[in-house]
Amino acid sequence: MSGTLFVLLAKTLTSSTFRQALIAIAAFGMIASALFSYVFLSTSSYVRSRSDRGIMTEYSSLRSEYERSGRDGLIAQIQQRIADGNIANNVYMLADSSLAALAGNLREWPPTTTAAGGWIEFRASEATPNAASRPLVRAMLQTFPSGDHLLVGRDISDLDSFADQIKTAMISVAGLLLVIAGVASVLVTRRTVGRIESINATSRAIMQSGLDQRIPLRGTHDEWDRVAENLNLMLDRIETLMGEVRQVSDNVAHDLRTPLTRMRGRLEKAYHAQRIGGDDQALIGDTIADLDAVLRIFSSLTRIAQIGTQARKGAFRTVNLVEIAGEVVELYDAAAEQEGTRLTVVGDREVLVTGDRDLIFDAIANLVDNAIKHGGTGGQVVVANENIDGRPVISIADDGPGIPAHEYEQVFKRFYRLEHSRYTPGNGLGLSLVAAVARLHGARIEMLDNLPGLKLKLWFSAPIR
Amino acid sequence: MTGGHRRILVVEDDPETAGQLVESLTTSGYQVDLAASGNEALSRCAAGDYAVITMDRMLPDIDGIAVMRQLRDDGIAAPVLIVSALGEVDDRVRGLRAGGDDYLVKPFSFVELLARIEALGRRSDTIVKETILRVGDLAIDLVSRTASRRGNDIFLFPREFQLLEYLVRNEGRVVSRAMLLQHVWDLHFDPSTNIIDVYVGRVRRKVDGLQAYPLIHTVRGVGYSLRAPG
Repeated sequence: MSGTLFVLLAKTLTSSTFRQALIAIAAFGMIASALFSYVFLSTSSYVRSRSDRGIMTEYSSLRSEYERSGRDGLIAQIQQRIADGNIANNVYMLADSSLAALAGNLREWPPTTTAAGGWIEFRASEATPNAASRPLVRAMLQTFPSGDHLLVGRDISDLDSFADQIKTAMISVAGLLLVIAGVASVLVTRRTVGRIESINATSRAIMQSGLDQRIPLRGTHDEWDRVAENLNLMLDRIETLMGEVRQVSDNVAHDLRTPLTRMRGRLEKAYHAQRIGGDDQALIGDTIADLDAVLRIFSSLTRIAQIGTQARKGAFRTVNLVEIAGEVVELYDAAAEQEGTRLTVVGDREVLVTGDRDLIFDAIANLVDNAIKHGGTGGQVVVANENIDGRPVISIADDGPGIPAHEYEQVFKRFYRLEHSRYTPGNGLGLSLVAAVARLHGARIEMLDNLPGLKLKLWFSAPIR
Repeated sequence: MTGGHRRILVVEDDPETAGQLVESLTTSGYQVDLAASGNEALSRCAAGDYAVITMDRMLPDIDGIAVMRQLRDDGIAAPVLIVSALGEVDDRVRGLRAGGDDYLVKPFSFVELLARIEALGRRSDTIVKETILRVGDLAIDLVSRTASRRGNDIFLFPREFQLLEYLVRNEGRVVSRAMLLQHVWDLHFDPSTNIIDVYVGRVRRKVDGLQAYPLIHTVRGVGYSLRAPG
């Protein structure tokens, strides 16, 4: 159960819907963070410029005091301001040319590279009344022509923590939005993937076992139900058409079979009659042989068609490929001996598949027959049974002239004959039968160059236990 | 041939095929009755005692297999040969062999049909319990699974021995290729090649090569027959 959940989750995460959702989330996230950054930056710069203007005003007023009343006037003014509790956040310092403090609420001149004047930010060395820790101070400093230095500033710790708060709020909101969007897209995608999976599963079942299955509807009348409805309608149509085709071919088969039976009966009667001469008898004998050839093609076709209808899946049981291959090789041993071909079985001792023994036998027999015929005199035919990654595989290889790669697909068509084998016995139906048997068993056929010769591999699916 | 009555019931709805069947079987020395439908077959069987019944699978009224079931329920044990179109060969038809009955796929040759009927009819005869079977100067030992002619051992693979045993057990009768495939290889289809001929050819070389007379004979268009001369 957790396995299927895991598979569903994996399919969700790899689905294209989810990928698109991720792209959308990424774009959305980028826009949101740009917006939040803009809000944050403009807010903090507005607050800071306001405080800077306050510092400037204070500075200008002190500077005029210095110009009006000189150093002593300014000292008095500064002390008076410090004493005033309403502006406890302000920081002042007046120092002489050697930076020794003359007045102010800073213990020492801040370490600075700004010699002549300008804006600085620094941590004060002592606590101001309003801040527990060492406060962050933003200040303007200036050197008067007399060589005295004036510093006017403000404790901006509060300002800084306000900016931090905004930042935290924005980041949390953005994070929360991303998480919600992510979860929502996973949920939506999983629903989509779930529906598509159920359609896929039904399609696979239909391909493997026949046209009688339909995609289940949820009764929600949404777009998925409409897709399922249409697919089901299509399946209905296909099933009807297939039924009609089968009916027609069954009728043709039946209608041909009966007169053929009579025809052969009459010929046989004539063949055994006393009154006809030797020449006529030979003629009739040849005709019977030809008729038998027609009948064999006919029954091969019927057989391939019958395998195609999948009616035989009921007879499926677990069979050992090695045993079947052994029996085929035993049957073809004499034929191989006649051709001077070495026919051997190699590989594992047990390769189990779920299938129909007769059909698998027939398919392997056809392949071995082909290999002996096309492998040429004095060749070698190897039948190998293996379990490869849990899949049962049988391969039949010869060392004859092989087949050109571009004809690999063609040879499975009914009545297809390779140019050079047109005059050898056979009706071109053998590989069609192999293909039909492989299809019924869900097996994949692989053709390889055996260097030299042809190697044909049948990949079955793992047996059902 | 072997003893017992030789009455046969042919159940077939196509008049011409039925006529040919009746004629061929009569020529071969059988006494033949004809039924054109399942119901007629049932009533005829209730009245008469038949050695073998041949039954078309597709009858106008009842399915051939169903007729056969009904016969068994009525206590009629005569072996049945179901004549079936290839498309109708399903598990039920293939299962017939296990029950001592047989099936034949249409279109068939009459010689094949005769061979099947012979084989089915013999079943009701006595079963030989010997361990060594002899035909002419050939002896096969069913226990040690060995064969010899005039005391000289013949080397045979197990499957070759099985084939020879089947031919010996049907001594003097025609054995078709399909019968060999079914009994020796348990295959219910025709591999549509001459593979059986090649295989029998090899057994024949081993059994008949350098001997005073041949035992295995080819029956043109049908199969083989094993018999001693004279």
